[in-house]
Amino acid sequence: MKIRNFVSLEWKQFSRSSYFQKGLAIKILLAFGALYFLAMAIFLGIGVVFGLEEAFPEKDPFKVLNNYLIYYVLGDLAFRYFLQQLPVMNIKPLLILPIKRSAVVRFLLFKTNLSFFNILPMFFFVPIAGVLLFKSYDVIGTLVWLLSFICIGFSINYANFLINKTKVYFFIILGLVATLLALNFYGIIDIASYFGTAFYAIYTDLYWILIPMILLYLLFKINYNFIFKQFYIDGAIVEKASDVKSYNLSFLDRFGKLSIFLKNDVKMILRNARPKQVLLTSFFFLFYGLIFYTQDMYSEIPVILAFASMFITGGFLLTFGQLVPSWDSEYYKLMMSQNIPYRQYLESKLYLMIFATLISTILSLPYLYFGWDIYAMILAGGLFNIGLNTFITLYGGALNRVPVELNQKAKAFSNTNGFSPAQLLISLPKIFGPMLLFYIPYKLISFDAGLIVLGLSGVVGLLLKNVFLNKIEKVYQKGKYKTIAAFDEKK
Amino acid sequence: MENILINTQNLTKAYKGVEVLNIPELEIPKGQSFGLVGNNGAGKTTFFSMLLDLIQPTTGQITSKNIVVSESEDWKPFTSSFIDESFLIGYLTAEEYFYFIGDLRGVSKAEVDELLAGFSDFFHGEILNQKKYLRDLSKGNQKKVGIVATFIGNPEVIILDEPFANLDPTTQIRLKKIIKELSDNNEVTILISSHDLMHVTEVCERIVVLNKGEIVKDTQTSEATLEELNAYFGQEEMN
Repeated sequence: MKIRNFVSLEWKQFSRSSYFQKGLAIKILLAFGALYFLAMAIFLGIGVVFGLEEAFPEKDPFKVLNNYLIYYVLGDLAFRYFLQQLPVMNIKPLLILPIKRSAVVRFLLFKTNLSFFNILPMFFFVPIAGVLLFKSYDVIGTLVWLLSFICIGFSINYANFLINKTKVYFFIILGLVATLLALNFYGIIDIASYFGTAFYAIYTDLYWILIPMILLYLLFKINYNFIFKQFYIDGAIVEKASDVKSYNLSFLDRFGKLSIFLKNDVKMILRNARPKQVLLTSFFFLFYGLIFYTQDMYSEIPVILAFASMFITGGFLLTFGQLVPSWDSEYYKLMMSQNIPYRQYLESKLYLMIFATLISTILSLPYLYFGWDIYAMILAGGLFNIGLNTFITLYGGALNRVPVELNQKAKAFSNTNGFSPAQLLISLPKIFGPMLLFYIPYKLISFDAGLIVLGLSGVVGLLLKNVFLNKIEKVYQKGKYKTIAAFDEKK
Repeated sequence: MENILINTQNLTKAYKGVEVLNIPELEIPKGQSFGLVGNNGAGKTTFFSMLLDLIQPTTGQITSKNIVVSESEDWKPFTSSFIDESFLIGYLTAEEYFYFIGDLRGVSKAEVDELLAGFSDFFHGEILNQKKYLRDLSKGNQKKVGIVATFIGNPEVIILDEPFANLDPTTQIRLKKIIKELSDNNEVTILISSHDLMHVTEVCERIVVLNKGEIVKDTQTSEATLEELNAYFGQEEMN
């Protein structure tokens, strides 16, 4: 078995999955999206040096750039943590064939390098290097500097892999980043200039490139060992049957017929690895505001704050909601043939998202520290989430046909992130909706008017609940057979 | 005239132009125990899936109690089925699963418990009070849960795809007894598919043989049926 065989297997899996057989329109749109990002990266790469030169005419723009690159590294890491799909490979058939495990593991790891998230930075850094050369910076220094950032890019790739896979690394890296940011915040060290000096040193003293290279090698090795150890179909050597945990959920009985589904969903979330991960992620969304509310830069632009406020209460809604029918993909045929009207099924999911948003709103009370304006904004965002975002998300779910394996963490071999292009499209109104609803009245009338309109939009959405649900139900009904067939597809 | 419960008209299913099922007409009267046999790819599961509106027919339709299954959901309250493991919810215990189905069909916990008590032999002490999630049960035990769950809520139509597969011999014999008892009750119509000719002739009043999507045989079960079926499938092998 050669690399060539792996590649052809991968290609077949990719091109033959139902997920790929999307309409031409979406494919074109996606291609445009990718091109747009690439073009933006090139544009930024070319523009950044000239821009910095203009902004700080007395300083060396290259040095200034290096000062900011640590934020790029951290941002890239966070960005990938939330967005990058983890590599997936069906190892079961490979385990019993005469192939070296190491070959499979290596292939799997190299495969991650081809991700769009790794290609995009190249389109940023190569133009920068080009501009530097054009400005007659040292040729070898620039190339070595470029090479180090390519190494750093791949290191981020592997680091992301680790933090997605293991809690230990997740907390180690989170702890490191948090400490750095805290030290920076309290002015003990200035990480920007610290790392700026270090990055610049690569350019002046070439041997510093060894550090990113060693880092890359270490991260690769850790990943390699980690996966090698887990190279069994259940991801661990001994399979342990989980203990049954029971909960008293009778408080949900007051929801009548819906309580059946609500109770089931609560069990689903608490007893399966994947939804638990989602729960954790949505908890982190609560802290999203800390990034935005603490920066003076953003408080000048309330529309960005409107966006952030939506995220604070919308964590669960967004992360759980986008996979709505997929959560039940393992037993979707049961749901479709049992005595269940579609309407009830959708309504129970709607209530679940509304509860979660309410809880997040309560948990976000500490944001009152930043003043009433901020909290009012969170409340308005919460109302938008409850009244409109829920429906948009449910609607998006109808387009989502990626099965989810409930009790598999998003693990190296067995699970795809249930993230599809359709989801990307439907996320546009989720993100820009609250910004527009706030921005237009804010610009035309006042800050308060913006908040009121944003909040009211949610109330109106709730009043139109039946209209929306009817519409969504029809969409689900229409896609029913396709959804069943896609969920039936074994990964 | 017999009371027709399930009526199939001009039913065909084609995938990309290749026909996998073609049943011009098939009527199943109320209370019949109906057996469907055929080799792999004969269209048994496809037929059942269409009966449950899980697959859309290319042409034609199936009605159940005069309800066109692909147009209305009103057949769901009186129909129950177990086709494969995707009818189980892996993160529930067996009891929780039974109660969940009970809730859906408007059957109280007490009534479910009463029904389950009647199946203690069938369960063989391996299902209830196990403190295990369904996903951690063996394939055979999962199947037992799925089959028994179809009996909850007095359904009028029960559809079982390959109920004997994966079961141990003792359980197979017990299942046959259960199905026979059910079919003695003329209110319940049971549809079973199987690869096992002996089992199916034992429990079904009528047997339909599918081959490449078409009905090639439709007989009332008699003592000669098993032999006929053996002869038929033996001949298939020679062709």
